[in-house]
Amino acid sequence: MASVELILTSGWCPFAARVLGEVKEKLEALPEISQAHVRVVWDQPWTMDRLSEDARNKLRFLPDPAQVPDRQSYIAGHLGKDRASDRSHAVRRRQHDR
Amino acid sequence: MIGDAFVFDCVAHVFNFEKSNALGSPGAMFSNHLYAFHAALTPSGETVLPPESFLRKWRPEEIDEMVFGQSDTDMLVAMPLPLTDLYQDGLSAWERCSELASLRPERTVLWGSVNPLEGKSALDLMERQVREFGAKAFKFYNVRYDYGEPFPWRMDDPKVAFPVFEKARELGVKLIGVHKGVPLGPQPIEHTQTWDMDGAAAAFPDINFVIYHVGLPFIDEVCWQLIRYPNLYASLAATINFIVRAPRQFAETLGKLLFWCGEDKIIYGSEAPIFHPQWALKAFWEFEIPKDLQEGYGYPALTEQAKRKILGENLLRLHGIDLGQAKASVDAS
Repeated sequence: MASVELILTSGWCPFAARVLGEVKEKLEALPEISQAHVRVVWDQPWTMDRLSEDARNKLRFLPDPAQVPDRQSYIAGHLGKDRASDRSHAVRRRQHDR
Repeated sequence: MIGDAFVFDCVAHVFNFEKSNALGSPGAMFSNHLYAFHAALTPSGETVLPPESFLRKWRPEEIDEMVFGQSDTDMLVAMPLPLTDLYQDGLSAWERCSELASLRPERTVLWGSVNPLEGKSALDLMERQVREFGAKAFKFYNVRYDYGEPFPWRMDDPKVAFPVFEKARELGVKLIGVHKGVPLGPQPIEHTQTWDMDGAAAAFPDINFVIYHVGLPFIDEVCWQLIRYPNLYASLAATINFIVRAPRQFAETLGKLLFWCGEDKIIYGSEAPIFHPQWALKAFWEFEIPKDLQEGYGYPALTEQAKRKILGENLLRLHGIDLGQAKASVDAS
């Protein structure tokens, strides 16, 4: 018998039900395992610490607050990247108004 | 009131889970998802209803009693669901939500809800919900499953979404909520993401938009959007219910929101009757961001001032209701 504990990346992980089912299914297909129990661990949060540095760099959207010594400076420094996007929304709106 | 905090709950539904109301297996799947959330996240020692007691047609009086009779809630939003792709009556029909609001009109606020894909009839219904039934805001659901397949629309769509925002504005309504994250049933996950909120917020800066469920699991994206748009807010509805079963997970979510977005942009919601409001309210009032998360990850502390804002003051402000007047009104009732 196999027992598996899963930590979801988010409490509202949209794939939770599918992952639970597939892990059980794949394990029970193995000849040495007759039965598999898969359960979600709720009291331990998933964090980016579990990723490799390379994956962290690719997937991280916002840094941990501890890595942001000055929140305002961080935000000001990154807002410029979004200004082009905001301009495109404004153009869409003007097109709609016409 | 809990402690000295005024509690304004941003969502309770008057569900109709009768089997005959569900449209095929997608509707049944949706009902079962909601029951699973009730069973999985209700803490030990609290009442977990058996399926037959949960998956039924709830009466407005039962929701009123659960929220006001059995919890420390002061005000409530009676929230319709326009899920006519999954249920005959949308699951929480606006007419029945209006009945709930009419039970305590000084304490329960009706929000309207329509399907913008219905064009003019949706606009006409918005007008009726506001002018005849006193709706103070609207809530939209842009992941749909019409005609047996995914049929989404976007909040930044000038042809579908903007007309309903303009209608809301014409009716004097400047508060709009939207379901984001938390896909339920056979819906396309990409449309539960929040990227379309940029376009809505930028094009309608005079309308305040509330992203329900803080868009989980897309929390980082939501934080960055709330930073950039003063008219975007995040509701903890259904997210606060991790507070007992998964307190560190909840602390991670709340810590990020507090650090990046601040305590003025977060709103409490119970999702009654999926979750009884009182256990989460009590847990939240006693909750602290763990010290190691504050020191290790840099999350701010959850102060009593932040709790008061999140539990009620922020939503009062968005409705244009003065705290003192709201307290007096509740006391008088």
